[in-house]
Amino acid sequence: MKNKIISIFIITIIALTVISCSKSENNSDGKVVVTFWHGMMASSVPALEQLIQKFEETHPGIKINAQTIPNGDAGIQKLMTSLQSGTAPDVSWIYSDYMEDLVTSNSIYKMRQFIDGKNGLTKEDLADIYPSLITYASWRGELYSIPMEATNLALLYNKDLFRQAGLDPNHPPKDWDELLDFSRKLTIDKNNDGKFEQVGFFIPVFPATGSRNGWMVWQYRPFLWQAGGDFIEKDQSKVTYDSEAGIKALTLWQKLFQEQKLETFTSDFDMAFISKQLAMAMDGPWSLPRYKDLMKGIDWAFAPLPAGPAKQATIVGGEYLCIFKQSEHPDEAWEFVKWIASPEAQAQWCMTSGYLPIRRSVKEIPAFKKYLEENANYKVFVDQMDVGQAELSIDYGAMQITQHIGEAIEGVTIGKRDVRTSLNNSAKKSNDLLIRARK
Amino acid sequence: MAIYKKNKDGLAAAGFLTPTLIIFGTFILFPVFFSFYLSFQEWNAFSWEGSFVGLDNYTRMIQTKEFWDVLKNTLIYTIGTVPLNMIVSLMIAYGLNQKLKGKKFLRTLFFAPVVVSPVAAALIWRWLYDPNFGLINYSLGFAGIDPINWLNDPSAAMFALIGMGVWKTFGTNMVLFAAGLNAIPDSYYEAATIDGAGAWSKFWNITIPLLSPTTFFIMVMSMIGSFQVFDIVYVLTSGGPLGSTKVLVFYIYEYAFKFTGEMGYASAVSYTLFALLFILTMVQVKYMKNKALA
Repeated sequence: MKNKIISIFIITIIALTVISCSKSENNSDGKVVVTFWHGMMASSVPALEQLIQKFEETHPGIKINAQTIPNGDAGIQKLMTSLQSGTAPDVSWIYSDYMEDLVTSNSIYKMRQFIDGKNGLTKEDLADIYPSLITYASWRGELYSIPMEATNLALLYNKDLFRQAGLDPNHPPKDWDELLDFSRKLTIDKNNDGKFEQVGFFIPVFPATGSRNGWMVWQYRPFLWQAGGDFIEKDQSKVTYDSEAGIKALTLWQKLFQEQKLETFTSDFDMAFISKQLAMAMDGPWSLPRYKDLMKGIDWAFAPLPAGPAKQATIVGGEYLCIFKQSEHPDEAWEFVKWIASPEAQAQWCMTSGYLPIRRSVKEIPAFKKYLEENANYKVFVDQMDVGQAELSIDYGAMQITQHIGEAIEGVTIGKRDVRTSLNNSAKKSNDLLIRARK
Repeated sequence: MAIYKKNKDGLAAAGFLTPTLIIFGTFILFPVFFSFYLSFQEWNAFSWEGSFVGLDNYTRMIQTKEFWDVLKNTLIYTIGTVPLNMIVSLMIAYGLNQKLKGKKFLRTLFFAPVVVSPVAAALIWRWLYDPNFGLINYSLGFAGIDPINWLNDPSAAMFALIGMGVWKTFGTNMVLFAAGLNAIPDSYYEAATIDGAGAWSKFWNITIPLLSPTTFFIMVMSMIGSFQVFDIVYVLTSGGPLGSTKVLVFYIYEYAFKFTGEMGYASAVSYTLFALLFILTMVQVKYMKNKALA
């Protein structure tokens, strides 16, 4: 009797596990269900739910099933494994560096198919979108996704700490010289024990082999552009990040890192900023919603990134929506994507999530104009879109080359190595890779 | 096959074996042979297409400085963990073999690190190793030692990894040693006591020699395990800083799953690891055989 009960129990557990693992039904109440995967931060999800609600109100026949997937490297791995097992979503939110794998495995639609179709986009629509985003959304010149939102990088600073150090709180550093000078003034050893209780400017350094390498290199890119350089030749024959401009940019990072003894500083810059141990850092508009609550009691503001010797620049990022060929409802998926890219949806999305609009005409919408006037920090980001640059997408070995750059950054900061030698070593590895790729 | 048809038991046996054989075949046998095939290809795992390149992957591996650095790191990790692991687990097993209250509880406690999730454990160890707030530097402070930047200093990171590595795996060895110690008849010890032997003499002349089959097994398994370490490296140091803790399997992971189109190269390195471990194990077996005959 005891054995029978145990075996029934075990069978029930196995059955429940099997049932919960099976693919969920695609049609609920006769509506078409579009599965949408995204890797957004938890703080952005409420705004997303509002957006989806608006879409479902105006499109009664379609239901959006939104699911959260991991971000970064784990995100593309999840997408690729889902493709192999035939469980890919209809639409997914992707980063531009996911494109190489998705395109070469022939998993996503070319957007031309929908744009030129009966429910398509006009030439004016496409021209309204910021060109840097169109570059990112394409692969080898062909558009494979539609931008959902834009981001860029700006300077976050603590006005109180500026006042305490005798600096004008309404004059954030406007170029590299001021950045170095202000950081020195804002790095303080309060009790003379050799350790800095307060640090001026955070330089993000993470292991080049780890998962935050991409994020570190992303923040380094504007510095190279501001010095007048770039990462790779337009024909992708060799890398150019070891140029004189590269040496200038990396030397700045090395100086700031070593002078402020950042190797013993925490890697959670936002926690350090909130506990008033950090005066300046770099961050993007995605943090605006959560800073509203987290930063109570701190007089904080965003400013454009300090300009470099050659020009002012920031890096544009963003996320894009792609439609999978495995989807059983590509037209409904396209309806969702098209709607999100419309100026009205963009206005709502941007005002609630803190992301930046993908197209210029959003600035004409009255509600959005008012929002810009009321939110000076957000306006900083929107204005920077005009000096925002997109990284050239590397056809082969993008991940490895990013790691080589990360190794150089890690080498000169934590490893205290010579800047020129480190850059040359990394560039040699990258160039060898590119030579092998052409064979 | 005829035997199975004639013998009903044989048929039943075949039936019971089939599920496991299928799983074994698909998930272990097939990948082993397929990756050997892949090591001679340049292969993109996601588009499932590749081209034959002969021994290119192997020659490229030998010519890459990073491969030798990674091998060196793995050897350092092995030499750091295996002896330490064996000594610690033997001492604890020996200690727990005496008449002690709460033996079962202590044994469970010491075995717990083995079953704890490496990710959860690594998060805690990261805090322990924190240069400013970690318990380890705090305790070292009492002995007058300056705080060490365990996870950010390339020369300290390997030690940090070895520390966590030994902690994570000594439990298994402790259980094996405990079994081996139990197998030694008490009569040997009694005879030695009658002859007036002290505790250390008993340990050195009775325990150690009679434990040697267990010791040999533990040494081979620990060595294989430490050559294949990956999970704690991935979560504790991610192979950094500056690649100082990048071990062989992490290197393979990078080329197999992080970089596109390098599955062939990763397979070549994997097979090299296999060959290396095979040779090392054979050497140890030969050594033990010779010792036994001597």
